[in-house]
Amino acid sequence: MTGHDDLPVAARTRQLEERLIAAGLTSDDEIDEFLTRLYTKASPVNGARMVARAWTDPRYRDLLLSDGDAGAAEMGFGDLTYGLRVVPNTGSAHNVIVCTLCSCYPVSLLGPSPGWYKSFAYRSRTVREPRAVLAEFGLALPPDTGITVWDSTSEARYMVLPARPDGTGELAEDDLAALVTRNGLIGTALL
Amino acid sequence: MGGQTGFGPVPVGESGDPPFAADWEARVYALATMLRRRGVFNSDELRNAIERLPPDRYLAASYYERWLAAIEMLVREKGVLP
Amino acid sequence: MSFEAGARVRVKARDPDHHTRVPRYVRGHTGVVLTAIDRWPVPDDCARGIDPPREETCYAVRFSAADLWGSGDHAVTVDLWESYLDRA
Repeated sequence: MTGHDDLPVAARTRQLEERLIAAGLTSDDEIDEFLTRLYTKASPVNGARMVARAWTDPRYRDLLLSDGDAGAAEMGFGDLTYGLRVVPNTGSAHNVIVCTLCSCYPVSLLGPSPGWYKSFAYRSRTVREPRAVLAEFGLALPPDTGITVWDSTSEARYMVLPARPDGTGELAEDDLAALVTRNGLIGTALL
Repeated sequence: MGGQTGFGPVPVGESGDPPFAADWEARVYALATMLRRRGVFNSDELRNAIERLPPDRYLAASYYERWLAAIEMLVREKGVLP
Repeated sequence: MSFEAGARVRVKARDPDHHTRVPRYVRGHTGVVLTAIDRWPVPDDCARGIDPPREETCYAVRFSAADLWGSGDHAVTVDLWESYLDRA
């Protein structure tokens, strides 16, 4: 294989793609279809729906926390390629997700991960100084809030179940889901 | 990577938020998925290849540049291209 | 061998020349098993193309920041395969 490390990365990518297509290993259509599906189906809206259900249905909350895969399946997400683990935030306990080794992330339920999630800074510092990292997101937790950092080192993918915001007792499930943000599901924001 | 210091602030904000900073990054991500589906390599082989990049290159490259270089490496090693 | 919830475990201080799912920052450190998550192929085998890979129970193990870093009041939880661990 001729090396073309000096080519701009976009050209290198296209060159690799063309060679893989020529070898019958993929096609433009397959790549386009995959990306279209990624952009349209994989979304934090999915995780948000599960959170809203957990806020309104104690049985579902118990299921989601004890068996994330079953909780996802019940909401129509039965085709996970990972084991889902959901960790609940409370007034005194805060959870935040990271992957120090690569960038493991529950893509189908949260959408493709943001650039910062894959940065050296987030990956290196979150396990060591989560309060400082969260402060950079504008999140200042009280000193007596206990923080647990979940380093996604296995086939399990983690999602935070945020605490339900005060004053939302009247809201229907769809309206509650609209309050849930991607960063809330990672643990870098409160709702 | 976990616990290392000196990487500075997390790139929070508009420039650090998009999953893919350019179209080629998304296509690298897609290619990795396709090659896994074809059984050319598995996720751990891809991670292993990323970690086998020379350290100076590893640290100088962007996230998806590392993926691209690792995929190129694996494709070469596996001999799947003529 | 298996570990029950609450068991104290020490991470083996190995530094293999291939990909492993043991972050350096927990090697040699002691933590507490929260739960057995599932049985999965051992990534070290998958990374080297060993077929079939060993399959083992993977545990969520909780470490205190003070133990890992000498400071900090948080906890860090890492998922670790059985052969990464010894009973402490």
